[in-house]
Amino acid sequence: MSQLSLKNLQKSFNEAHIIKGINLEVSEGEFVVFVGPSGCGKSTLLRMIAGLEDVSSGEIVIGGNKVNDLPPVQRGIAMVFQSYALYPHMTVFENIAFPLRVERLPQAEVEQRVNAAAKVLQLESRLQQRPGTLSGGQRQRVAIGRAIVRQPKIFLFDEPLSNLDAALRSEMRIELMELHKRLGSTMIYVTHDQVEAMTMADKIVVLDAGTISQVGSPLELYHRPDNLFVAGFIGSPKMNFISGTVIGSDGSTINVDLGALGTIALPRTTKIGAGQQVTLGIRPEHLRLGKGEFSLSVTPKIVEHLGIHTVTYSTLPAGENFVGLYEGDPKVNESEAHDVGFALSQAHLFDQAGLAIY
Amino acid sequence: MTSTRSATLFALALLAPALIYILTIVAYPLVDTFILSFTNAALRPDYDWVGWANYQRIFTAGNFTEVIIRTFIWTLLSVGMKMIIGMCGAVLLNAAIPGQALFRILTMPPWVVPMAIGIYMWSWMYNGQFGMISGLLQNFGFISRPVAWLAYGDTAFWATIVTDVWIGVPMVTIYFLAAMQSIPRDLHEAAWTDGAGRFYRFRRITLPLMVPAVLTMSLLSLISTFNSFDIIWILTQGGPSGSTTTMIIDTYKTAIGSRKYGEGAARAVVICIFVLTFCFVYFRAVRKLSQGEAK
Repeated sequence: MSQLSLKNLQKSFNEAHIIKGINLEVSEGEFVVFVGPSGCGKSTLLRMIAGLEDVSSGEIVIGGNKVNDLPPVQRGIAMVFQSYALYPHMTVFENIAFPLRVERLPQAEVEQRVNAAAKVLQLESRLQQRPGTLSGGQRQRVAIGRAIVRQPKIFLFDEPLSNLDAALRSEMRIELMELHKRLGSTMIYVTHDQVEAMTMADKIVVLDAGTISQVGSPLELYHRPDNLFVAGFIGSPKMNFISGTVIGSDGSTINVDLGALGTIALPRTTKIGAGQQVTLGIRPEHLRLGKGEFSLSVTPKIVEHLGIHTVTYSTLPAGENFVGLYEGDPKVNESEAHDVGFALSQAHLFDQAGLAIY
Repeated sequence: MTSTRSATLFALALLAPALIYILTIVAYPLVDTFILSFTNAALRPDYDWVGWANYQRIFTAGNFTEVIIRTFIWTLLSVGMKMIIGMCGAVLLNAAIPGQALFRILTMPPWVVPMAIGIYMWSWMYNGQFGMISGLLQNFGFISRPVAWLAYGDTAFWATIVTDVWIGVPMVTIYFLAAMQSIPRDLHEAAWTDGAGRFYRFRRITLPLMVPAVLTMSLLSLISTFNSFDIIWILTQGGPSGSTTTMIIDTYKTAIGSRKYGEGAARAVVICIFVLTFCFVYFRAVRKLSQGEAK
C-alpha cells in the first residue's frame, strides 16, 4: 500500500523552477533515498514533504490524505536535520522530550518515551548532558531520538551523516539501517553520497535538475541505468563514456564506429539509424586486463595502488578520460601501454538524447 | 644589547602610544580625582588635605543617599524599558513582513540624530504651552488643561526616562536583532516540525538563546545609563527641586556649580566605585558565558 504519493509536485522560487513535476509512490516500511548532485532539488523536495516549504502546484498525499496545506506536525512526519538542530541550552533528555512537551503529555509518559528512545539509541548515560558535550555521532542519535519519540508514520532525513567523518559515517549508516529494521517505519533519506544511497536504500530516486531521472532498486540503477546521468552518477569510479557513430542496426545488433578504437557490435534489439551519435558506457570495474570480447590499448598517466584494487587513469585518442579498476595488484605501470577488454554484455549504450538503448 | 632585551624594548615601543594614551587620558585624571577627594580644593589656588572628611560629609549631611537611590531607580527603570522595548522591536523587525528593510532604517533616527538636537526636540514636546504631547492629550480628552511635563517632580522624572529610552532603544534593538538572527534557522524549523507555535518557540528557544545578548546589553546599558548626563542636564538640570538629580548631575553641581572640587571629587569616586562594580560583574558574566559556550 502506498503511504506517500507525490503527484506532479512543483516548486518555484519566483522565476526559478526548482522542482519540475515529481511523481512518486512510497510504500509503507520502505527506505527510500533521494540522491543527486548539489542543487538538484532533493532537499527542497524533502522540505516540501515535511511542510517546511510551500507547494507551488501538485499534491502530497500521506496515508490517503492530501497534506499540502497541513502544518508539519499534522502530517505524521518527523525530520532529522543535517545540522542535527539540537537545542544547545537543553539537556539531551529535554531535547528528545521537546515534541512531547509541545504536546503537553504527562511527565510519566514523557519519561517513559524518552527513556525507551534513549535505550534504542544507547543514550541512557548521556541524558543529563548538553549537546555541546557530545560527539558528532551522539548528537546525531539525539536528533534521531527526538524523531523517534513522536512515533511518526514517516521519518525524513536530510543528509544526516554529512557532518561526520568517514569512519563514523559508515558506523552510523549501519545503525540507521538496523533502526529501520527494528522500527519498520517508512524512511525518506536525502544524500548526495551515492555509497549511502546504494547501501541503505530499498528504492533510490535519482534527481537531476528538479526532475526524477530514474527510480529503482540500487542494483537496477547500477546494472540498467535509464540514461547517461544515472549511469554517470551511480558507481565509483564513474562509468567511462566513449563517443561513437552508429554504422547500422538489424534488430539484434548495433554496430558502432568508435573512431580510432575500432568498431564494436553490441547485442541490442532496438533499431537505430546509421549516422546517429551514440555513447558507449563501460564501468571501470568491468574492464579486464588483456584481451576481451572488445579490446583497446591504453597508456595510464596515473596508477593508484590501493592494495585491494588498482586504479588506472588514461586518456583515449579522442580525448576522453578512461579509468580502469582491477582487483589486487596487477602489473600495470604509468606510461606503459597495456590491453584492456570487456564483455559486450557489460557495455551500455546511450542515444543522442542520453537515453539507454536496450 | 641582547636580542631578548631589544625584543622587549621593541614591544614596549609598540605599546607606548597606547600606554601614554591610557596614562594621560584615563589613569592620571582618575588618580588626580581620587587625591582631590581627600582635599578641600575650591576656587582658592591652595588647598589642604582633609582626609575622609569629604566622604563623611556627603554620607552624613545632605541628601546623597537619596540621590543614590534615585539614580538606581532612574537607571533600572530606563534600562528595563530599553530591554523590553528593544526586544519587542527586534522581534517585529525579525518578522518576515513586507518593507522590512524600511522599518529597520526607521529605527535608527533617535540614535543617528545628534543627541542634543534630539533632547531639545523632546524638551519642546514636553512644553506645556506649545508641546505636542500636552496638545495631543488635550485633543483626545485625556487632560483638561496644558501640562508642563518638566515642571513637576514626578512627570519630569518620567519624562527624562522616556527621552533616555528613546535615545537608547535603537542600539538595543539592533543588537538584539543581530543576536536573534544568529540563532540557526534549523532550530526554529525543527521546533515547528514538532508542533511548537510561534510563542512557544520564542519562549523555549529564542529567549533562552538570547540570554547572553540580553545580559551583555543590560550590563553595558546599565553602565552608560548610570552615567547619563546630557539628557537630564538639557531637559531639567536636575530639577524641579532635585527630582531628577542623579549622582552624575549631583557631582557636576557640587564640583562645577558650587566650585567644591574636593567634595565633588569624593562624589565622583563613589560613582566610580559603582561603575567599577558593574564592570566587574560584566566581565565576570562575559567570562562565564564564554566558558558556557565552550562546554
